[in-house]
Amino acid sequence: MRARAEAAAITAGAIAVALAIFALFLFANGLDPLAVYAVLWLGGFGTPFSLQASLTQAAPLMLTALCTAIPARAGLLVIGGEGALAAGGVFAVLAGVAAPALPSALGTVVVCAAGAAAGAAWIAMAGALKHLRGVNETISTLLLNYIALALLNHLVSGPMRDYAVSLKPTSWSIPQAYMVGTLPGIGVHWGLALGAIACVIAFALLKYTVFGFAVGVVGGNPRAAQLVGLPIGRLTLLSCALGGGAAGLAGAVEIVAVHGAASNSLTVGFGYGGILVAFLARQNPLAIVFFALLVGGISASGGLMQRRFDMPDAATQVLQGIIFFCVLASNALYGRIRLFREPGVAA
Amino acid sequence: MRKRFGNVQALDGVSVRFEPGTFHALLGENGAGKSTLVKCLMGFHAADSGVIRIDGEARAIPDPRAAHALGLGMVYQHFTLVPSMTVAENLLLARADIAGLIDWRAERRGIDAFLARMPFSLDPDAPAVTLAAGEKQKLEILKQLYLGAQVLILDEPTSVLTPQESDEVLCHARRLADAGVLTVVLITHKFREVRAHAREVSVMRGGRNAGGGPVAALDADALVEMTFGERPVAGSTRRGDRTTGERYLELRGMSALNDRGAPAVRELSLQVAAGEIVGVAGVSGNGQRELVEVLAGQREPESGEITVAGRAYRRTRAEMRALGVFLLAEEPLASSCVRALSVADNLALRDFDAPPFARAGWLVDRAAIERRARDLIGRFSIRCAGPHARVDTLSGGNVQRAVLARELSGDERLLVAQNPCLGLDYGATREIRSRILEARNRGAAVLLLSEDLDELLELADRIVVMLDGRLVFATERAQAGASEIGRHMTGHHAASVTA
Amino acid sequence: MSPGELGWWGVAIAILGGAIRVSTPYLFVSLAETLTEKSGRVNLGLEGTLLMGAMSGYGVSYLSGSPWLGVAAAAGAGAAFGLLHAAVCNLPRVNDVAVGIALFIFGTGLAFFLGKPFVQPQAPRLPTFELGGFSSVPAIRAALDVSPLFFAGIAAALIMRWAFVNTRWGLIVRAVGDNAEAARAAGYPVNLTRTLATATGGLLAGIAGAFLSLSYPGTWAEGLSSGQGLMAVTLVIFARWRALNCIWVSLLFGGASALGPALQTVGVAGYYYLLGAAPYVLTLALLIASSSRRHRLVGAPGELSINR
Repeated sequence: MRARAEAAAITAGAIAVALAIFALFLFANGLDPLAVYAVLWLGGFGTPFSLQASLTQAAPLMLTALCTAIPARAGLLVIGGEGALAAGGVFAVLAGVAAPALPSALGTVVVCAAGAAAGAAWIAMAGALKHLRGVNETISTLLLNYIALALLNHLVSGPMRDYAVSLKPTSWSIPQAYMVGTLPGIGVHWGLALGAIACVIAFALLKYTVFGFAVGVVGGNPRAAQLVGLPIGRLTLLSCALGGGAAGLAGAVEIVAVHGAASNSLTVGFGYGGILVAFLARQNPLAIVFFALLVGGISASGGLMQRRFDMPDAATQVLQGIIFFCVLASNALYGRIRLFREPGVAA
Repeated sequence: MRKRFGNVQALDGVSVRFEPGTFHALLGENGAGKSTLVKCLMGFHAADSGVIRIDGEARAIPDPRAAHALGLGMVYQHFTLVPSMTVAENLLLARADIAGLIDWRAERRGIDAFLARMPFSLDPDAPAVTLAAGEKQKLEILKQLYLGAQVLILDEPTSVLTPQESDEVLCHARRLADAGVLTVVLITHKFREVRAHAREVSVMRGGRNAGGGPVAALDADALVEMTFGERPVAGSTRRGDRTTGERYLELRGMSALNDRGAPAVRELSLQVAAGEIVGVAGVSGNGQRELVEVLAGQREPESGEITVAGRAYRRTRAEMRALGVFLLAEEPLASSCVRALSVADNLALRDFDAPPFARAGWLVDRAAIERRARDLIGRFSIRCAGPHARVDTLSGGNVQRAVLARELSGDERLLVAQNPCLGLDYGATREIRSRILEARNRGAAVLLLSEDLDELLELADRIVVMLDGRLVFATERAQAGASEIGRHMTGHHAASVTA
Repeated sequence: MSPGELGWWGVAIAILGGAIRVSTPYLFVSLAETLTEKSGRVNLGLEGTLLMGAMSGYGVSYLSGSPWLGVAAAAGAGAAFGLLHAAVCNLPRVNDVAVGIALFIFGTGLAFFLGKPFVQPQAPRLPTFELGGFSSVPAIRAALDVSPLFFAGIAAALIMRWAFVNTRWGLIVRAVGDNAEAARAAGYPVNLTRTLATATGGLLAGIAGAFLSLSYPGTWAEGLSSGQGLMAVTLVIFARWRALNCIWVSLLFGGASALGPALQTVGVAGYYYLLGAAPYVLTLALLIASSSRRHRLVGAPGELSINR
């Protein structure tokens, strides 16, 4: 309980400090911080329309954040969400095109499953390299991002290209019947529900199952895991596959709910945004739901801020960066605040 | 030159005098106070009382820098070299006064001239990482001499070296002492080194002087007696009759490397039957840790076979459970616990995936884990804020108790324990020893590795001695004598045996 | 005569020219990362630093009319970003890789925020050395139109290699990065050394950015960098943490980047992106081949979190 309160308080404090720093930044650029924050609220959360846009952004962020958060439980720092998302998108399209005549709901499931499987395999490669060869997973997933991006661009501009679309290189489209609509009432596509459900499942998986317990031991102390005979390799691989599967699903969702076809519109930074969300949430899947909404809202408000203040929409990225810094720096505070110390035991 | 200490907790009125230009050995078991003594000397600790005299003058040594300034240099057990740098660079880096722009030609002249004066040399251009352990140790010594040390303290420098390497290093050190360049203080628990290299010896036991004098005037038995004292064969714990069953654990030709890639366990073979305690005696650093790590699955053996209950043992969770294998390893927090998890979760590491803690085989029942944890916390008197407290908020002794509670579950059929009572108080020690005996009386095979000879003499049915990664001596409990075992522990006899 | 008529010779010349042009930012960021990692830290945020350098270089060049002042501004901005990275990493329990990602997001955002006014105007570009004057073939003249920053980068590599061996500071950086415990015991300040190394690294990465905006391609726009900053970590592995190797690795990666466009001129198309990914595949293969479960990568500084 205390640990959770400590995390909540420190993270809230870090975000408050970040907002203050950003206010100073705005002030230095001749803007009224209060007015900007009012618009940020309006553009991100304040109206049904803006909330809709934020939730639409939050959906893939939840899934890509899991790509960092689940392997983190096994002690790995995976930053390959962007690549897994691209792989998921490509394979979702391939599945949709390969099996065009399924009943619409089944088709959607097949397309999503293909995307998730591709993402899972993509990040599992990094897990396997880590276990078998000791290749650092952070570097290998960074490289895999570039390779996935190149493969995506290659496929959509050549082998998979739909030449009927002339605007920019785009792949064939999946059957219209496989596309999903919006959630009733809120006007946000089904991916949001999928993302939130995935986070809840991931939370339950890590907290209440044998697998989650075992992965926590592997990530917490590999030597203790060896001592009690846990299969470290299998658990490493599985946690990578689950994380990659979530990011692959994000790619598939972008296909079935937004684009209908693969193009470089898939890789607009949801993978890197997911890393930010995962760190803000301290790798806790339930907290990811909340922070994905926060980050999604900040991103979504960029357009309105641009129109109101004639200020570049990169401002939202500046704010995200400052928040990231402050939350990382706040790690130094853990265990330093007396209120949250365990009573009666020396630290 | 004269140094005197008194009444530090670990030091109980020790007085030692190191004559200039001698090779002086400081001998004693682990915990005898040797390290504390030299740490006071080097300014790492302040003595509660006592004086350090150098050349007859009382000196205060508040920090290591002051010690260096007085010409005291120490070579530590671990290497303090920068691996990617060359010998010359490592030497230069040790000096505090390097110029911003290094005139390598002048520095090299200085280093070459310095090396030429030394009785042993190293290639100045060789990167430290390419040096063998013995050469690294030589470089550490050279570094101290390059800094102008007149007194060189070697803290068990040979624990990482092969016997040949350590002989060579110590020979060079003695030559320096004989030439009057240097006073050498060798901290060791290896008798062979003392007899082979030292002029003078001071023996410490329990923080006190236990004797000493010119090495030539002392015979081996006298040294052994000074170090270990005379002890009775203790047997106060109730032990059931020995009903040795079938061979349960068998090691054949086991070899393993240590962290530095040097052989630590060499072609070791060992058998433990159900219902017996086999005690492995030995001074620490003779491969015990690596052996336990191999049995724990934390280290891959280079060669050899492990058999449990007649079948090859691959250290999987399923085997551990089916065969009842449990383990009490050293440094329990680092080797056997997950810091970030609660006491309750740490107590469940062995069986969270089995009923009643795993429902339907995959759902962890937190409530059941917590109930069991409360029970164990009570039964093993683990002092903590509750089952939810993180395990790293516990004191060392209580972490130890938590691991004991987990590993001595009552289901053990093979128990491997290394120094299970290290650092515990008298009451806890008695309790743990009787639990180990209980396990044996229930028919478990117990492999007990301990540096505490009393513990082995009290508990073990058979005692084997481990030296340099091999078993060198075996004896039945009835025939065991402390001084004989002590001699084998220190390498006075050297014939490999199979236990 | 267009490159296409030169046939395969044209390809070779284009690759050579591309290697020289494209390699310069690679060279600077790889030197930046080498210095940072030699001190024991990883800076994954050089992409943000690079973009900040590109923006401030371009902006100052435009406002002052002097591209060289622009380069100085870029270096200053880069150093400030290096300091920021180091300051956060100096705090206890802070993961340097994560800080790098934060720096990446922050730097990219800040560069585009502050750089918006500079998207339209044309800033004075850096001059070049026209080494191809001897030839009448335009392709060769274009290929040998070399920026002074290319030579500055080579000089920086030589100086770094020299300084690692011949200066007190160089020795301390290596000691801190390879065995911090020993360096601390010998009385050298670990965090301060790392801070200075990371800041100097940032400075170099800032110059890499200035090359992008003031030399080649020589504009300030989104998509200016194609991830050169993020690749620094990889380049350093390839160069085995040696400053001089950074030159060859940068030329190799630069040449590889030029391969796709060059092949297009002779009608070999369709592999543009795949060829662009060749360096990453190559690096991954190298990593797989040289990693081991038991040993660290050869040449890697001992304190590096990413190679443990």
